[in-house]
Amino acid sequence: MSGSITADGQYTTQQGTPWYKNKKLDQLICFWSVPFFYSLFGLVFVPLSWMMPPRSPASAMPQIVEFMQSPKLLIACTILTLAVGLSAVGNAVYMCQMKRMSVSPVFRFAFMAGAMTGAIVGCLFPMFCFGLGAFRSGYDPEILAMLYDFGYLSFIGCMGCFFLNWSCLGLSILLDTNNTLPKWLGYYTLWQSVSELVIAPVWIAKSGPFAWDGLMSFWLAMVIYVPWQMIVYICVYRAIKSQPESELDNAHLMPAANYA
Amino acid sequence: MSISADTALAASDIGERKPLTSGHLPGESSMWFFIIGDLLIFGVYFISYMIYRGQNQELFLQSQQHLNQGVGAINTIVLLTSSLFVALGTQAARDGKKSDAYRLWALALALGAAFPLLKMIEWIPKIGAGLTAGKNLFFTYYYMMTGLHLCHVLLGLVIMGFVMRNLRASTQPNIKFVETGAMYWHMVDLLWLVLFALFYLMR
Repeated sequence: MSGSITADGQYTTQQGTPWYKNKKLDQLICFWSVPFFYSLFGLVFVPLSWMMPPRSPASAMPQIVEFMQSPKLLIACTILTLAVGLSAVGNAVYMCQMKRMSVSPVFRFAFMAGAMTGAIVGCLFPMFCFGLGAFRSGYDPEILAMLYDFGYLSFIGCMGCFFLNWSCLGLSILLDTNNTLPKWLGYYTLWQSVSELVIAPVWIAKSGPFAWDGLMSFWLAMVIYVPWQMIVYICVYRAIKSQPESELDNAHLMPAANYA
Repeated sequence: MSISADTALAASDIGERKPLTSGHLPGESSMWFFIIGDLLIFGVYFISYMIYRGQNQELFLQSQQHLNQGVGAINTIVLLTSSLFVALGTQAARDGKKSDAYRLWALALALGAAFPLLKMIEWIPKIGAGLTAGKNLFFTYYYMMTGLHLCHVLLGLVIMGFVMRNLRASTQPNIKFVETGAMYWHMVDLLWLVLFALFYLMR
């Protein structure tokens, strides 16, 4: 037996417990899916299909058609179709820690809603749009151009959803008296959410710094986003590790064999 | 040996008062992190504005003529005076004068609340006249930067409200929190000064 039942009926794991009996295994599996997810997406979006960095909104028609019908885009969209569900698992990691914060549950429910809509609009829609071009041949160039616009605008212009969910996370961190996550991370998360607002003009700018491939709306936003995404997961990992086992949602569950 | 405020005042002209806070850094350290980072981010945005201004000088100069320098100047005075009251209010809080501090912060809040109203007075006629964010690059920058700043002001007003609640409700106000709120408001003021200079004055 690798654990013991304490006087108040809690099951605690002892030192030297094998990893598959770790009480935090659920959170850790979700956590480790994240680097896998982002690496996969990085490969798919950048070297495989050159979807990223974003192509120009003012691209000429022949270039758009060539991109939309390229076989590499086909492979990228196939992988995306299979893997996009991992975003739900990645978001679950945040929510387990948000539950520990001394704030209203409204924050994590709003976070969940924002994350879900953001994943649908920001990942699924572009995948459908580019996928339509890749999987179905014979569309008119004008239709492909519209799908191209639709795909990129969804991908980059869905900032509203992420503004909501990162604001919820940031506010939760700042208001949390349990110090689940550090206060400076709360402020950094708020920067991240406000940088989403600077992306708003992509809907009206076809060139320049506020286009979807522009300095302000894309590159500077990435300078804020990329380090933040890595840092936030590092902090969440630390929070998972330091979480007392008695606080876990599955703390009251124990294998039936222990009663024997 | 601790000295009372009266003795301290009597002791020197400068009046070295013993602060009610502990530690050397006023306010929460995480707010300093936020302030410095925010200034950096805005700084980078301003630099990008300058780069694009350099590339489109004619367009930017012409568009700038449409901005109302008078309202901009009034906004500057409003924010600077508001910051003054915030500083006086914080000092009063440190001296233990709770009701003075509350009144000074209330004045600061009233002035601060004038800022969004003045912004609307500026923006609405412009938008009505077709000078929207989509008009040209200058106006996109103008609305985005002043809009971002306005969000900071609105948040600052909320923070002020919480500071005032703390000053009124508790017997011993949380000086660290009061200082933190004050620091944030000063940052908002500083950002406006740079914005005003870059967008309104630099012609």
